[in-house]
Amino acid sequence: MIIMSMSVNILRLWVLAALLTMATVLSACGPGQPPERARPQGPPPADADVSRMPPGQQGGVFFGTLGGMPRTLNPLQAGEDASSAMALSRLLEGLTRFDSAREEVVPGLAKSWDVGADQKTFTFHLRRGVQWSDGHPFTADDVVFTFQAIYDDRYPNRQKSELSVNGKPFEVEKIDDYTVRFRTADIYAPFLLYVGTSIMPRHKLIQAFDDGSLMRAWSVRDAQFTPEKIVSTGPLILERFRPAERIVYAANPHYYRIDSAGQRLPYIDRFIERIVNGQQASTLAFAYGQSDYENVEVRNVGWVKRNAERHGFTVYDRGPSQSTNFIWFNQNPGSNARGEPYVEPYKLAWFKDSRFRQAISYGIDREGIVQGVLLGRGLPLWGPVSPANRSWYNPDVQRYPFDPQRARALLREAGFTWDAAGKLHDRDGHAVAFSLSTNEDNEVRQAIGLVFIENMKQLGIDVRLQPLDFNTFVGKVMSSFDYEAGLLGLTGSWDPQGGWSVYHSAGRLHMWSPGQKTPQTPWEARIDELMQLQLRTLDVEARRRYVFEVQDILAREQPLIYTVTVNSYEGLQNRWRNLDPPQMGTLVWNYDEMWAETLLLR
Amino acid sequence: MKALIIKRLLILIPMLLVVSLMVSLLMSLAPGDPVSQFEMMPDVDAEYLQRLRQEFGLDQPWYMQYFHWLGQVLPFSYHPDAASFWQRFDFRPNFGFSYYYRTEVWDLLVQRMPATILLSLTSLVLAWVIAIPLGVLAAIYKDSIFDRISQMLAYAALSIPEFFLALLALVFAAKTGWFPIGGFTSVEHDFLSPWGRFLDIAHHLLLPTIVLGIGGVAGVMRIMRANFLDNIRSEYVVTARAKGLAEGAVMFRHVFRNAINPLITAAGFAFSSILSGALLVEIVMNYPGIGQLVYNALLQQDAFVVQASVLMSVIMLMIGNLLADIALAMNDPRIRYD
Amino acid sequence: MIRVSVMTSSMFKELLRRPAGLTVFIVLVLFYLVAIFADFLSPYSVTDQDLQHTFHPPTALLWKDGGLHVQRYEMQSRDLSGYTPVVGEGSPLRFFAPGYEYHLLGLVPMSHHLITVDGPDRLYLLGSDQVGRDIYSRLLHGTRISLSIGLIGIAVSMCIGFIVGGLAGYFGGAFDNIAMRLTEFLMAIPGLYLLLALRGAFAESFTPTQMFFLIVFILSFIGWSGTARIIRGMTLSLRNRQFVMAAEVMGQSSWKILWKHVLPNVFSYLIVAATISIPGYILGEAALSFLGLGIQDPSVSWGLMLSQAQNPQVFMEGYWWFLVPGLAIFVTVISFNVLGDVLRDIIDPKQKFLRS
Repeated sequence: MIIMSMSVNILRLWVLAALLTMATVLSACGPGQPPERARPQGPPPADADVSRMPPGQQGGVFFGTLGGMPRTLNPLQAGEDASSAMALSRLLEGLTRFDSAREEVVPGLAKSWDVGADQKTFTFHLRRGVQWSDGHPFTADDVVFTFQAIYDDRYPNRQKSELSVNGKPFEVEKIDDYTVRFRTADIYAPFLLYVGTSIMPRHKLIQAFDDGSLMRAWSVRDAQFTPEKIVSTGPLILERFRPAERIVYAANPHYYRIDSAGQRLPYIDRFIERIVNGQQASTLAFAYGQSDYENVEVRNVGWVKRNAERHGFTVYDRGPSQSTNFIWFNQNPGSNARGEPYVEPYKLAWFKDSRFRQAISYGIDREGIVQGVLLGRGLPLWGPVSPANRSWYNPDVQRYPFDPQRARALLREAGFTWDAAGKLHDRDGHAVAFSLSTNEDNEVRQAIGLVFIENMKQLGIDVRLQPLDFNTFVGKVMSSFDYEAGLLGLTGSWDPQGGWSVYHSAGRLHMWSPGQKTPQTPWEARIDELMQLQLRTLDVEARRRYVFEVQDILAREQPLIYTVTVNSYEGLQNRWRNLDPPQMGTLVWNYDEMWAETLLLR
Repeated sequence: MKALIIKRLLILIPMLLVVSLMVSLLMSLAPGDPVSQFEMMPDVDAEYLQRLRQEFGLDQPWYMQYFHWLGQVLPFSYHPDAASFWQRFDFRPNFGFSYYYRTEVWDLLVQRMPATILLSLTSLVLAWVIAIPLGVLAAIYKDSIFDRISQMLAYAALSIPEFFLALLALVFAAKTGWFPIGGFTSVEHDFLSPWGRFLDIAHHLLLPTIVLGIGGVAGVMRIMRANFLDNIRSEYVVTARAKGLAEGAVMFRHVFRNAINPLITAAGFAFSSILSGALLVEIVMNYPGIGQLVYNALLQQDAFVVQASVLMSVIMLMIGNLLADIALAMNDPRIRYD
Repeated sequence: MIRVSVMTSSMFKELLRRPAGLTVFIVLVLFYLVAIFADFLSPYSVTDQDLQHTFHPPTALLWKDGGLHVQRYEMQSRDLSGYTPVVGEGSPLRFFAPGYEYHLLGLVPMSHHLITVDGPDRLYLLGSDQVGRDIYSRLLHGTRISLSIGLIGIAVSMCIGFIVGGLAGYFGGAFDNIAMRLTEFLMAIPGLYLLLALRGAFAESFTPTQMFFLIVFILSFIGWSGTARIIRGMTLSLRNRQFVMAAEVMGQSSWKILWKHVLPNVFSYLIVAATISIPGYILGEAALSFLGLGIQDPSVSWGLMLSQAQNPQVFMEGYWWFLVPGLAIFVTVISFNVLGDVLRDIIDPKQKFLRS
């Protein structure tokens, strides 16, 4: 009997559970939108920046996704990973800004600047009337404080090296409350770009600076429990931070940009960023209309597009991205602690022969990789700068289209022969074989490696793919040099100086033989010279000439055999207006000027 | 009983020392260090990397790092300069510092724990609420169609890899749109009414709970069925029936109470896996819990985060076993610990 | 040892007498045959790519000119469903014809395959992956990893478990104490954490074979403690039995006693314990590979195939690719689970030592 009544109870429980399920499912169908945010409309700053875009209407929420958990909002550390840097960039502005659409440096917190006759003195005139989000005035003291903190030995940070010339920091001097003068030790080409580093609020951080705890300020814990302490000059302020879940930003009522109708930017009331772990959940969420914006990986473009009409978004083909993928051979001539050479001497001889490297380059079916691996959504790459970078891309470098005949001819010329089974041998009879190391966590790169193996088979070369844990890979490539060939991708930066550590023979990322005391080869010496020349002129045309020659030499010598660049695809809900798509970088770079035609996402 | 509790707690100390030493050793064996991830960034200079390593003490041998960490680990800390008397005591356990997040490890654990504990509890409740009655019914109606089908389903549930089921659930959520795709709360959560927040969390919990709970349902059901069968056949049941007791009373008062004993031990074990049991499901379903944190910490070699979560799990296991033993003694007066 | 073989053969007979036992036995034998003859059964090698046919859906077969043909497809777009069949066109299938070369059982060089295609079209029974490799062929080869990892792993951990457990139970005292604390300690750390930490510690570069053995080693390292505790318990009870005491009085060495008297008595339990824990190894390898920490491309295992299917594109559209390795793992694990239970019912019907 009791058993019977028990099973009746279970039945009741089931019904209850089912009802509860229904209720929750239903509740999800009509999600609430965040309440509108009343914005105090005080007079805009005297030197407000006026947007070029036509005026829009205020209100609405932008739902974005962040592909990783920001680890800190500390301005000195946030630059270390993309998610933190992204989160901080919404809050803090610099003296200058980079206009992605026009590819030029434009005024930010500074309204203008004068360049001295020596080309080493820059006088910045700050905007008057700009306030931090807590109402505190923004002045030259904040600028001086920021650079003081960056150069302070107690606080190691990543920005310092870019903000120094020959290891010497800029001299920063306050002339008056709204004028700051910078002096550089030598002419420094990317000065205006790099000086746009985030300016920190002196009134909030000076205490931490003085007592030595600046590195622990503005941690994730602060963001979670005391978001109001994190003040901003940017379009947004931090409203709520839920670690590993989302960041809620609200419009900054004190932002210094306005539109032509005199309304304060940004138009949006809120910006909510969902923090996801990895790409797949965020792509799914976008494809089913649960977020406004998504960077869609090439392989997902097809099916995501098919949801576009139903969920009211568009997937934009943004052309080639700045990502590069390359294969290189270890040309390090040294030997390890046990006195063994890093690379077998006979193999080193192949790797050092430019004809061998060129032959390999001709042997790679880049078009095949683009078609097969990237589903046609990419471009063959011939040099370190992707065509996305209009300003610095040299279109006339030597190209290596897929041509096994040409590859064979070059190998023959370099003294290689084929045996009866079609295997390649060098002059001394060594079979040509090498291992290709790469990091295992990148799928596209592994697929490129797999195609490369098959391509090399056609030339009679045996390649063994060795996927490695990222740290192991780094250890081999950067310190133990215990590898033969590597496959890696780097994302280029807009300014050519960003490639210094790759191009310069003393650079840390001069992959094939890093950190050389004196350049090994004449062409590496020439690259060093050109990199120095481009750094020491403010004349953009002259810089371009030098940088183009660097690209020429790299393409000719093929120390890094570039393979493909992946196209970039971005999805955006159709409700957004005032888009200003740049050639390079994200579509929503000007989210402060964007406004929503309909306030509801779903 | 007191002696038992004290003895167990005393054993815990050497256990934690050995476990933490081993975790330190293992973490140090892995190639690279937490700074390695910056090596491939073109605009980071070598001097900065050097500075970071010094700052973190990564230039010292692993056992020195371990002793340094051991010196920090305290159940609470004392700040003599604090303004008021009570502020001098900080009762947050100190598990060291996270290299990756540059913050206290304990803060990170506290951020993630509610989501994981909630998920583990709901899936446990799901497992027990469904499995115990099913197991009892299967035992009573042994070899019936119901018994056979439930046995087969139990086999199936035990054999599906958890991560595969999680993937299936994700596809289901995306294709139907009935459930959120991962996460613990929705983006509008902060702006909902309290009831709305409750429903929101319930909505997010449903799929992960089912994925994580299915294995538990099958396991508990099989144990329950086997125990119940054992007890039905035993002598005291025959005696009770002979005495003319009602069948329901026999089943519930005698068989059920005895059959539940091994499940108490199982519950203790389940308690121990509250923090660590959901790792795969959390990763696949993008659920922001401890498992995700630990997995990322392992990849990033954030040693003290791994250390802390392993230690937490060991403590949970010991406490779980202890609680099970105590509960067992309370349910069954024959069991005594001396 | 004679007793052991008699016991196992009677156990085996009993197993075949039960319908559930017979069914899973047949299934497992089939799986092992597939593993052994994977090369013969698959039309392509695991590394054979075709960049013109990436993400191809399963190909249809058609009957033409008195023979089976594989359907020809034309590519419309590079997206998953971008292939459309060309009506009436195809390439003939050949049976037992030569294809790529391989070594049967790792010894006999051969080149004949069950099915090959004669012509430009490719046979994708289960579709193709991101570089145009045949998923069916990769699935068959993946069988080898999943089916052998359990057996090898279990052999290793059973040996360690028997030796440690047997000695601990037999000698008792300090050795027993240390061994049991050690097992408790291994069991206290969450298995998956330990697995990941061990894998991280040995993240150096490995060849596929070395990687396989590393995974086996790691899984066995975690797995032996349970066995050791069971064996210890049984040895403890055997120790006071007359025949062991008699052997001791006769001055036999402890090793000999363990080998001659203890092992035969616990052997059947060992077998059942082994069978019950095999799924743990299979799932362990699958989980590791799924997380990208196990078997790596271009080698293949089911877990790796599942992890490659994690991309939303695959599971939104190429469900065949995504479901198949999962199902394979499922069937294998369920078979071993059932086998283990049936064997336990035979050996230990009261479940004195072995519990699920």
